[in-house]
Amino acid sequence: MSSPVIEFSGTVKHYGEKTIGPIQFSVGKGEIFGFLGPNGSGKTTCIRMLLGLARPSGGSVRLKGEDPISRHVQALTGVGYSPELPNIQTFLTPRDVLALAAAESGLKEARDETDRVLEEVGIIEYCDTKVSKLSKGMVQRLSVAQAMLGRPEVMILDEPMIGLDPAGTAHLREAFRSYAKEGGTILMSSHMMSEVEDICSGIGLIHNGRLLFNGTAKEMISQVLGATEVRVEAENLSAEVIESVRRIEGVVGVTQTLGGLDVKVDGGYEVRPDIARVLVSSGAELLKLGEGERMLEKAYVVALRGGGDKAD
Amino acid sequence: MVAIRPTRVSAFAVYEVRRALAKKKVLAVVAFTILIDTVPYYILSTSGASLIPAELYPYLWVAGVIAPFALFIQFIAILIAAGAMSEEYEAGTAEILLAKPVSRAEFMVGKFLGGYLLVALVIAMNAALSVIAADLVFGPQAGLWTFPGVVLLEVYSTALFFTVAFMVGELVRRSSLAYILSSALVVSSQIIGTYLSIAFELTGSRFYEMMHTYLPTTVASSLPAQYEQALLPSSSGRVFQLILGPMGGAPSEVSAAIIVAAYAVAAVAISLAYFSRADVSKRIS
Repeated sequence: MSSPVIEFSGTVKHYGEKTIGPIQFSVGKGEIFGFLGPNGSGKTTCIRMLLGLARPSGGSVRLKGEDPISRHVQALTGVGYSPELPNIQTFLTPRDVLALAAAESGLKEARDETDRVLEEVGIIEYCDTKVSKLSKGMVQRLSVAQAMLGRPEVMILDEPMIGLDPAGTAHLREAFRSYAKEGGTILMSSHMMSEVEDICSGIGLIHNGRLLFNGTAKEMISQVLGATEVRVEAENLSAEVIESVRRIEGVVGVTQTLGGLDVKVDGGYEVRPDIARVLVSSGAELLKLGEGERMLEKAYVVALRGGGDKAD
Repeated sequence: MVAIRPTRVSAFAVYEVRRALAKKKVLAVVAFTILIDTVPYYILSTSGASLIPAELYPYLWVAGVIAPFALFIQFIAILIAAGAMSEEYEAGTAEILLAKPVSRAEFMVGKFLGGYLLVALVIAMNAALSVIAADLVFGPQAGLWTFPGVVLLEVYSTALFFTVAFMVGELVRRSSLAYILSSALVVSSQIIGTYLSIAFELTGSRFYEMMHTYLPTTVASSLPAQYEQALLPSSSGRVFQLILGPMGGAPSEVSAAIIVAAYAVAAVAISLAYFSRADVSKRIS
């Protein structure tokens, strides 16, 4: 297995009486890792340590195998960062902001590259407008654009979807997916559970400075809620059909809802093919079969309420 | 250890100039510099020209170059330097700039040089406007061959308060507080200097004179004035007496140059040492 791109090893940060950590997790190449947790839980502090902006009080942080404090230039080469609050110089234009970022990174042919990323995030038509005149969503896109500049190997994104309209969110979601498909690694913090569930291959949940969970979304749902959920949308559902679904191995509960069923499933089972077979053979009209809605959000709320009882 | 790369330093220097110019307070200061270099000559020409001996007319440009330097130019230097680092923390822009493959030394040196370049431009503009205004109002000016020298010395001497304000800005990371503290240093040094001069006049004790000699304001303002005084004709001495008062209690040119350098090196070393170790502050305001 290749060495991780991002690695926290017993990392601790003391802020007066507050302590973040010890934090232990790693992110491999090509992964999109979602960093979850409520405000003030320590996500941004971890990101700041990863970027060499804050010095760990204990343990270590490695970015591409390098110490971001003592070997900052080496660690940050090929790394893009979009901060939680897009504090971008308001007196500059998007093109100026990217030109400065390109100069900092020593990018050649910066003009073509700035145009490419502005196009990619969908604000090329505002490239010469002062940042102070851009909407919050556009500034957020610009923040992501400067992180994408130069096709970095790693992107660290602190709340990248914040302030975006649905079109902007969808646009960036696709951009991140294709970036990861090409081998890029993303660590993104977010409060938008649906986004995280949708695009992240791994997640970490941090609360009160402690890492409560590290794994996949499915694992977290299963571990925290004890079961996953399958949402069935179908017509002509008779009592017999519902009973047949209930008897499928791995199903732990079935609730009839308006237009379908919510099926609770033991975490280790994949029951959707069986459900489809039962419905089709019994003459019910299957309209949609997918994972339960907002499961990660439910697991997140339960995990935080537990305050770390299920820490791994 | 990463060497300081000139391309990164120059990128930050250019950025710093643009950033400072984008702030209205710096533009206001530049506008005020224009006023301070033109209005006094106009007032003198309309209401006080007859009071000035005609033989001093060719040297009146020196008054415009030297007089604002003691305080006004120092405050401009402080205004620019105090915010160079601290305003980046306050705006939260330091994070985005430093989360790049650049060393902290490159960032700091670039911003320092950008701010210092801006101060140098203000000094040059102040001096040039003085010459133009004096020439227009009082006729052709003499001794202009000393112009480059006095401008360079003013730029050099400004390093004292510029670096101190830069250091205070980095240490406190609040632009207003840094400006107030640095300005307080100038004002208190000036006031203490006045008391020491009075004490020296009353007692004749060399101790007071020596104390006055090494005050930051004495050191910072003495070098350009001494340079001009030594080079210009003796008849122009009254101009300096009117502007600066007697030159007693000032260090020699060499001593002043060394003291300025000592203050500047110490302040830069402290700034760099602190900046290299401390966390990058999150957005403050």
